[in-house]
Amino acid sequence: MNARAGLVRITRSMLASAVLIAIVAAMATAYTRTGGASRQSLIAEMLSNFILVLGMQVFIGNTGVLSFGHMAFAHIAAYATAIVGIPLVTKAKALPDIPFGLSDVYYGPLGVTAFAVLATMIAGAIFGIAVCRARGLAPTMITLATLFVVEQVVKNWKELTRGAGGLSGISRLEGNTWLWVGAFLALVIAHVFQETRIGRFAIATREDELAAPALGIRLFTARYAAWVVSIGLIALGGSLRAQHLGSVNPKQFTLDSSILILVMLVVGGMRTVSGAVLGTVLITAGNELFRQLGDPQRLDIERFPDLFLGGAMLLAMLLRSGGLLGDRDLAGWMRRRMYRPPPTQAVGERVAATNALAASNIEVHFGGFVALDGAGVAVRPGEIVGLIGPNGAGKTTLFNVITGLVNEQGGTVMLGERDLSSSTPVDVARAGLARTFQNLRLFKNLSVRENVSLTSLVAGRHRRDRQRPDADALLADAGLSEWADRRAATLDYGNQRRLELARAAALAPEFLLLDEPTSGMSDQETLAMVESVRAVAARIGAGVLVIDHDLAFITRISDHIVVLNEGRVLAEGTPTQIRANPLVAEAYLGTSA
Amino acid sequence: MTKLLQSLVDGLGVGSTYALLALGITLIFGVMHLVNFAHGELITVGAYASYFFFLHGGSWWWMPVIIIASAVLASVLTELVAFRWVRTASPFTLLLTSFALERLSHALWQILVSPKQRAFPKPSWVFNQFKIADISFEVMDVVTIAVTAMTLLLTAVVFKRTLFGISVRGAAEDFDAARLMGVRANRVISGAFAFAGALAGVAACLIVMRSPAAEPSMGSDWLLKAVIAAVIGGLGSFTGAVVGGLVLGLLDTLSRVYLPDLAEGWDKFSTAVVFMLIAAFFVIRPEGVFKVAHAERV
Repeated sequence: MNARAGLVRITRSMLASAVLIAIVAAMATAYTRTGGASRQSLIAEMLSNFILVLGMQVFIGNTGVLSFGHMAFAHIAAYATAIVGIPLVTKAKALPDIPFGLSDVYYGPLGVTAFAVLATMIAGAIFGIAVCRARGLAPTMITLATLFVVEQVVKNWKELTRGAGGLSGISRLEGNTWLWVGAFLALVIAHVFQETRIGRFAIATREDELAAPALGIRLFTARYAAWVVSIGLIALGGSLRAQHLGSVNPKQFTLDSSILILVMLVVGGMRTVSGAVLGTVLITAGNELFRQLGDPQRLDIERFPDLFLGGAMLLAMLLRSGGLLGDRDLAGWMRRRMYRPPPTQAVGERVAATNALAASNIEVHFGGFVALDGAGVAVRPGEIVGLIGPNGAGKTTLFNVITGLVNEQGGTVMLGERDLSSSTPVDVARAGLARTFQNLRLFKNLSVRENVSLTSLVAGRHRRDRQRPDADALLADAGLSEWADRRAATLDYGNQRRLELARAAALAPEFLLLDEPTSGMSDQETLAMVESVRAVAARIGAGVLVIDHDLAFITRISDHIVVLNEGRVLAEGTPTQIRANPLVAEAYLGTSA
Repeated sequence: MTKLLQSLVDGLGVGSTYALLALGITLIFGVMHLVNFAHGELITVGAYASYFFFLHGGSWWWMPVIIIASAVLASVLTELVAFRWVRTASPFTLLLTSFALERLSHALWQILVSPKQRAFPKPSWVFNQFKIADISFEVMDVVTIAVTAMTLLLTAVVFKRTLFGISVRGAAEDFDAARLMGVRANRVISGAFAFAGALAGVAACLIVMRSPAAEPSMGSDWLLKAVIAAVIGGLGSFTGAVVGGLVLGLLDTLSRVYLPDLAEGWDKFSTAVVFMLIAAFFVIRPEGVFKVAHAERV
């Protein structure tokens, strides 16, 4: 079953790649037929750029982390190619003091490429740890630093690289055949990566850096996988270019070439493979056009293509920041057309939820401000508990402590026998607590179905003891089946709320933690939400902890209510008891009525 | 000892230029979460302005005015024609927009003037030397440090005492709240760009006084160091930008001077070593030295 699904994915990727490469090949043939042999070399350049752009797409496009440093690895690959791809006699002259016993190593084209890709991937895997661990702008800065480090090493490690002059005499690949093969391979790999579990997780981290871990997706793993695959493709591109040109030099892969490749990626649309392909073709063509226009015999403008590059990037950003194609993608279109709902799983023995969730004596200070001062909450299996309190009472902070977003200074969080105090969001989610967010954190650019399928995928791996909820059934429950293929961002507000609920439920959690699920809703929608939450909780057999301001909503939905005020539990009990409690009225209305 | 003092003075000189630029970057980041890669181009604009000014018989006394005015104008203009239209976009889009502007600026100078360097005369006193206790200083070292100190002082006063400065700081804390308090978004952002432009203008003056020449890509190297300085300090933090700039300047100079003593033959890798240290720093402390808390609600 699983093997068959894998086969379908690979076939689909091959098919999409074949169509794309056929289009590019047709255009290339039309272009070379009408001109001289020099046109072949433009095609060669485009093809190696093509591989590099796809390499960058795998990381930047899928994770949304900007990198300037990918060309450093193209550099490493090109030099690795030269070092084992130059015939021994030539090499002895060019690099008399070559270290590591590399003086008598010489491989054929396949061996050279394999060596270059492998060596580069090892280097990339080491740098990648730093890049993928960092957050915010730091990864971009690290890649930038990497670019300069490699550039300087290449320029100055003369025993290995012969310094500024570069190396020539690499055994050359004649014609463009191998570049075409490489481009096709790169296309297939980039396509397949987007279909794999880890690739889809990487995309989820791009869409929301906070929501993905809260649903059990580990940021580092997803990014690192994308990074390593991406560096592999970059190495392929770098090596093939070196073997095509027959020489390497330190100026081949600099910040400028990083930017050229980046422009190709963002103009076409970095999120999809089709976008990367379109961008490569357009920018290559535009660059060539401007080069010819700037020719001394025509307009006589030196560096005219630079103007084109800057202009194209600026226009793309101002007018279509997602690139020309945005999320439109040949493979994605095929995926939707070929979608068959998975056969409904045989209903297995449902393991009844037996664990209780208990946070007790939680203390949190932000500087001098005491947000939580010994507050706590307990939810029994299958129970719905409401958490209310005025603004600043510490409701969301308590939520964030339970889900691992805020570290508590004191107290414990227990799920059954398991201690979740000071756990990371990923571990909390995998242990069986799924949350929603106060201000909606959907994977906006992904389809409605993919939002739910992603967590369902996490459940399949990490929530094995529970029955995995069917994504389509959850969508149907939420009344979203009709819009399953639409981008999540295009849903109206109420439906986005319901989608977030369905997404959390797909994790097969023991408890759903809902942070103000009705904020911004009308009274009628709020009533409907009561039913939705109950239905979902019943379907997956989970308990619910829900925060809300709306006293009417909370009393209607909850079995048990906890009232927080100034970081402490003010009162708790059944809805009827709470309504009758004078302390609650005072905290809420500010009167002792 | 002499060597150490001399390299400290050199390092502070370079570092204070980084600091002025980093301050502008951090200021812009504060108000609109943009890491402005086009900021270095303001140096180029200033340099070309003084080149043309000289062509038409300008003198060194008016030069600072011309440079700073042109940098302010260019800075405000970039906001007006480009950044204003992507203000609500993702930081990724903002960053690439600034990158596009940087590329366009390079291309335009190459096409409109020349890809080659254009030199103009420097003031005669710049490299005059004088001695204090056996250590010789260049006049320019003293000028650089003094001018930077004054500019930083002025910046501190503006942001602590004036309504404009307080609005900008408020906007950096929480833009929506600042707006509700009556801060006008467009005016604050334009003002921040103007101020960042002025800071870049001062830096440009110091740079062209040392090496009086204009070149299309002259801003890029400075920009990269300044961005790194701002990120090291912690984007959004004013103190951080200054500390980051000075640290980077000292690191640059000291590694060039002392690396050969530490390890034979490593002087040619001094830049590589500096960048390795920077990368290592970001691994250990991704938010920079002075972490700016972002009030992101979840």
